Amino acid sequence: MGLESWLESIRERAKSALNKPAKYGVDIDVTEYLKPVSGEPRLDTARTSEVGVDLSAKAYYTQVDQLYFNYLSKIPGIEVKRIEDFIEESPDEARNYVWRLIDPAMDKYTAIAALRGVGGYFIRVKENTRVEDPVMTCLFMSIGGLQAPHNIAVVEKGAEVTIYTGCTIAPESLGLHVGITEYYVEEGATLRYVMVHSWNRVSHVRPRTAVWVKPGGKYVSYYVNIGRVKTLQTYPVVYLERDAYSYVASILLGLEDSILDVGGAAYLLGENATVEIASRALGRDSSRIVTRARITGRSGRGHIDCRGLLLSDKAVIETIPELSAESPNTTLTHEASIGRIAEDEINYLVSRGFTREEAIGIIIRGFISLDVKGLPERVKKHIETVEKITAERAL
Amino acid sequence: MGRVLELRDLSVAVGGRVVVKRANIVLEEGSTLFLLGPNGSGKSTLLRAIIGYPGLEVLSGSVVFEDEDVTNKPMEYRVSKGLALAHQIPPKLSGVRVRQLLEALCRKTGCDPFEVASYLEIKHLLDREFGKGFSGGELKRAEIALLLAQKPRLPLIDEPDSGVDVDSIEIIARAIERLVKETPYRAAIIVTHSALISKYIKPTATCIMISGEVKTCSSPELLSEVFEHGFRKLVREH
Repeated sequence: MGLESWLESIRERAKSALNKPAKYGVDIDVTEYLKPVSGEPRLDTARTSEVGVDLSAKAYYTQVDQLYFNYLSKIPGIEVKRIEDFIEESPDEARNYVWRLIDPAMDKYTAIAALRGVGGYFIRVKENTRVEDPVMTCLFMSIGGLQAPHNIAVVEKGAEVTIYTGCTIAPESLGLHVGITEYYVEEGATLRYVMVHSWNRVSHVRPRTAVWVKPGGKYVSYYVNIGRVKTLQTYPVVYLERDAYSYVASILLGLEDSILDVGGAAYLLGENATVEIASRALGRDSSRIVTRARITGRSGRGHIDCRGLLLSDKAVIETIPELSAESPNTTLTHEASIGRIAEDEINYLVSRGFTREEAIGIIIRGFISLDVKGLPERVKKHIETVEKITAERAL
Repeated sequence: MGRVLELRDLSVAVGGRVVVKRANIVLEEGSTLFLLGPNGSGKSTLLRAIIGYPGLEVLSGSVVFEDEDVTNKPMEYRVSKGLALAHQIPPKLSGVRVRQLLEALCRKTGCDPFEVASYLEIKHLLDREFGKGFSGGELKRAEIALLLAQKPRLPLIDEPDSGVDVDSIEIIARAIERLVKETPYRAAIIVTHSALISKYIKPTATCIMISGEVKTCSSPELLSEVFEHGFRKLVREH
């Protein structure tokens, strides 16, 4: 099959799902996002720095709406290009990675991405390349409408990298963001993926992510939503082969009337595969948050740790951990809790010399502080800043 | 000598039960007061009443600190005035690192968090979540470190010697002595039921509390009588 007929087959498949709602989350009408939007794309650096994007990084990919793209890699062993260039230059290889883990007909959001999506990155980290500097990616929406980039990363054998992604939008832009992300972590490789979202009160967000981790590979993911959003639904899936390891953490701040449905699934396919899925949900105002986590194990070990903190009488948090063991060689566990801030902890900190507001801030910061091991120092600093912003906004 | 704190006929209830009955205590400048008594005698509640801990109901009487009646003031106000309470069992704080608390307090008071941590020998705990997996001695040392960083005008210290190994008691006692020296009144109230800390810190006054009542307040010699006769016999004699 030639390149054009392969792409056409994807489009045809996508068309069949244009009216298919997602399995989870609020169903929205995507037809209005099929219309073209006019305007001049403009990168708002104040917004992008809020989500921790460092535009002076040695390797980066920046996309504004579906119109402006800027990318470069000065790091030896790391290739960064726009997805369309990758497909055009290496069509045979592209078929191994593009729409391989995610079905374009999964739901109406993957369908619209397959039909109308533009841009996204292809990142290759060559065999045994280990870099401390993160590859910085920034997806910014300035004029609204649809932004549906398709992102691929291939971390080859023994390589090690951190991809940092900040996604944000101009304050009043009406937008639908559907980022399609397919990551491939090869034997003994490590991919750390940090994604920070800060949307606006009228935006809908439907990222679709899948990751394949080959034997001995490691995939560590840290996702945080720190801003208002109309609706957000995502359910990344991780497949782990023998001796592969994954840690998937999500920090969710629900503000005003935001509706968040964030989860994830892991498939333990091989011997000694290990996964830990952790989430921390903060429900403020009249927000509604659902956290989901599912582990299906044919072997290995898995643990789910979901916690929710209600900061308002009107907010709702629901947590749904699911475990499915398909072999006695699997050990799966979960813990889940939802509650309010313990008054005795606040009182303790007040007796220690903090104001009540400071005490609540300290407790919230502690609640969302997850120990993500192995992150580069610079990324850790970003995360500390993000934690601080999240705690301040939760108050 | 100035009067730092005075409790006048203070009665306190917790959950509708009277736990402190008409307590009268005067703390003078330069005084290290040991408040002794068996378990459940109301000592911790009395300390909490002084600092205005929520959940307590003052039935009668007053708490006067630095000549100000603070009986109806909230804990946040009293702490801002310089009262501080070191807890017998502080809560575990998920995700909150010892370093974070020490640094935040030192930013307020102008201390060096690393020096404080070194003094209490808790440098190894700085990046641990507060209270999680700590031994009894570590927990107390961390608690006293925070108290030291807080730089209170009057520290109230609840059971610094319970559930603590011998080495830790020595470290804690040394830190309390330093703390007292650093306070403007060189005064403190220390609650203890075992009085183990008296091996290292000599009180200037001793009170005994039994069944919610401050039965007797006397000179430091009372402490040796406690060791000799026990609380109840001693109170009967007094």
